[in-house]
Amino acid sequence: MSPLLELRNITKRFGGLTAVNELSYHVEEGESLGLIGPNGAGKTTTFNLIMDEFQLTSGQIIYRGTNIEKLPTHKRVQEGIVRTYQVPRPFHEMPVSDNIRIGMMPENIGKMIAEAPDPDAEMAIARSVGFGEREFAMYPGELSMGDLRRLELARTIAAGPKLLLLDEVFAGLTVAEIGQITELLLEKRKDGLTYIIVSHDLRSLAPLVDRVVAMSFGALLSEGSFDEVLADEKVQEAYLGT
Amino acid sequence: MLSDPGMRKYLVGWALFGVALLLFPQVATSGTLRIFIFANFIAIFAMSWDILSGRTGYISFGHPFLIGIAAYTSAMLTYHLQTPLYFSIPLGVIATMVGGTLFFLPALRIRGTYFALVTLAFMELMYQLTQVMRPDITGGTRGLSGLPTLLTGALPNYYLSSAVMFVIAFCLWLLIRTRLGTALSAISMDEDAVKSSGLDTTKLKLFAFMVSAFVAGVGGTLYVHYLGSIAPRAIFDINFLFTILIAALLGGASTIIGPIMGAFFLTFLLEYLRPYIPGTERYFIYGSIALIVYVLEPKGLHHIIQRLYGALMRGKQA
Amino acid sequence: MTHIIIQGLLLSGLYALIAVGFTMIFSVGRVLNLAYGVYIMLGGYIYFQCVQVWHLPKAVGFVMAVAAGVAFAVATYQLLVRRLENNPVAVEISTLILAVVMQALIVMIYGAASRTMWPLVNGVWRIEGVAVTYNILIATVASWFILGGLMWFVHKTHLGRAIMAVSMDRKGAMVSGIDPRRISLITWAISGGLGAIAGVFFATYTQLDPSMWVGPLIIAVAVVVIGGIGSIVGSLIVAHLIGFMETITTSLLAAELRGVFTMLLIIIVLIVTPKGLFGREEL
Repeated sequence: MSPLLELRNITKRFGGLTAVNELSYHVEEGESLGLIGPNGAGKTTTFNLIMDEFQLTSGQIIYRGTNIEKLPTHKRVQEGIVRTYQVPRPFHEMPVSDNIRIGMMPENIGKMIAEAPDPDAEMAIARSVGFGEREFAMYPGELSMGDLRRLELARTIAAGPKLLLLDEVFAGLTVAEIGQITELLLEKRKDGLTYIIVSHDLRSLAPLVDRVVAMSFGALLSEGSFDEVLADEKVQEAYLGT
Repeated sequence: MLSDPGMRKYLVGWALFGVALLLFPQVATSGTLRIFIFANFIAIFAMSWDILSGRTGYISFGHPFLIGIAAYTSAMLTYHLQTPLYFSIPLGVIATMVGGTLFFLPALRIRGTYFALVTLAFMELMYQLTQVMRPDITGGTRGLSGLPTLLTGALPNYYLSSAVMFVIAFCLWLLIRTRLGTALSAISMDEDAVKSSGLDTTKLKLFAFMVSAFVAGVGGTLYVHYLGSIAPRAIFDINFLFTILIAALLGGASTIIGPIMGAFFLTFLLEYLRPYIPGTERYFIYGSIALIVYVLEPKGLHHIIQRLYGALMRGKQA
Repeated sequence: MTHIIIQGLLLSGLYALIAVGFTMIFSVGRVLNLAYGVYIMLGGYIYFQCVQVWHLPKAVGFVMAVAAGVAFAVATYQLLVRRLENNPVAVEISTLILAVVMQALIVMIYGAASRTMWPLVNGVWRIEGVAVTYNILIATVASWFILGGLMWFVHKTHLGRAIMAVSMDRKGAMVSGIDPRRISLITWAISGGLGAIAGVFFATYTQLDPSMWVGPLIIAVAVVVIGGIGSIVGSLIVAHLIGFMETITTSLLAAELRGVFTMLLIIIVLIVTPKGLFGREEL
């Protein structure tokens, strides 16, 4: 069986700076992969490359057996690759309901006009991330950080993902909120979602991932089970040293 | 959708607005009607501006460019080739939509202040070209006059312009209540996030541009065949842009009623000032008011009235 | 040929002076001040009022013009721009409205008709068969001196360096103890003064007219758009590019086409290389 997503020697250079260097890793369908590494290791850049928010300098991104090089961002999303952002990016002047609605839009403009939105389906998604009627009508400015992360998840889930790229989902959350988000992610995994999760918070990451890839200076450092990778001297050096 | 009680309330509002427009000539003089005709056209142009700039956040400083293409196309066809109006007007609208695509090209690559500048450059370019290139066709600096008019007299023109304005407003209102409207508003907030929600922003923007150009085209052609004349300085002009921009912003961008309110407010203020200050100096007072409102409340009069109304209701309850 | 070079140089010098004030505001605050043309117009009209209506000495006219430009620019910044600082589009819209309002004010006071300004100095200088009025010569030479002085100021004085620092890295400047708002205010004041001086020269070169703010504004915009975030040197180069382009168009094609190419250049540069010829940050 071929992997769901495979990165082959991807490289991204910004002028003289190499942010990602000949990086290769893959994620199997249904798997949950942790992506770790010190600040500036190129983890978020990798996500930007997978989403075509940055263009590859070289290398290939293979999704379900085909090279997706030519697909623009929105096509990749329609194919089922969806990401969240380190700093949540809701549409600030829209209530939660409309934020979810954006993720559920049909592709065709004619359908957007002709077909009425489906508030029940929107509400169902809101409930699935733990929102009630009250939050449904609230604006992002009124939400806590934990709820903003939930909103990000709701928006991505609304887009119908197969592969979710989660960027620092635990940043800025309280311990209780981390527990809730973890539970939510584990719950969603049962529906067959595949994850790549970037996190600094290794302790919170541990129960969520099957396998871990460690990066440093844009390159792959180590790969294996959570314990193996953390035991790797190179990884410890990258985190503690220099 | 039509059975929704919230919707019904709005529909009643629209019906009342329509009836008011219909009955207004019973109480107005033909002078007042002419003011209303002008207000209707400004409202159409302001709505055209708003569907592009108010919604998607791509601020156009070149709307007179679109309106001018429509007006000039139809004017030149009727003036030189005696094309009948029922033919020249649709052609004018089509030409505007082609022009709209031209406008759209920079929007693929640039945003914000630079987009506004490019559209401004388009307008100035057109102003100079109409004077320099083939003045025998465009009429040069003096423009063209003695163009055929659609209708004569204040009353028929009032009904025509009101009907067009009303239909455009109502259709746009229906349009922005759909999911498309939500998607367009989202573009003005965070275009990249819209893309990463799986939406093709290029297609969405193109659609908004086309709708805007269509409305500008309809307004522009009817306007020129109401006036019966056209000149570069009357169309491709910063003062004309200013009038449209202010109508939309003063009333409240990205609402449908806002641009209409702004257009009527503007026209009446200018007419009210006419006995005291007869010339273009009236723009000084009007512009100052608009500037103060914009700086204090960028969302416009519509928002201020809503807030006052909200405060009033709360006051009653307390 | 000589004719084109001389005319081109003279025009470019004036354009550089016109553009530099606009560029400064853009590089320090990353906002486009579309009311910049008003400083030019104000400079011209105030000088006209002092010298040709009140018959005061020319020097007094100059000082009054500069004072008016500075005062108006400071007022623009304090009353409008500061409130909208985090929204460049709102600044652009409100300064455009302000410009039209000021145009209406000028019409109210001076009427809509054009006025002719007397030349600063009478007389014509002939070189290589080309007639050059002393007026434009003085204007250009003065422009060069002012621009040179400005470069000295920006590079050699503390205040100038602070302005540079803010334009390069606002946050970094703040960390070093510079108050960017104060620097912005000072920059606006300088820009207003420069605009007013340019206005006096520009008005003697063409004439006074309530819509005279549009032309210079477009030149200034073109310089920023084409040059990208300007060093003063970058603005100088682009000002010469436009100045020579206009001179060549005027003398070889037709005078009416001169603005057309400037406009085309703005459109093409923005569409083809959105970053400007010399690179710029995203807005």
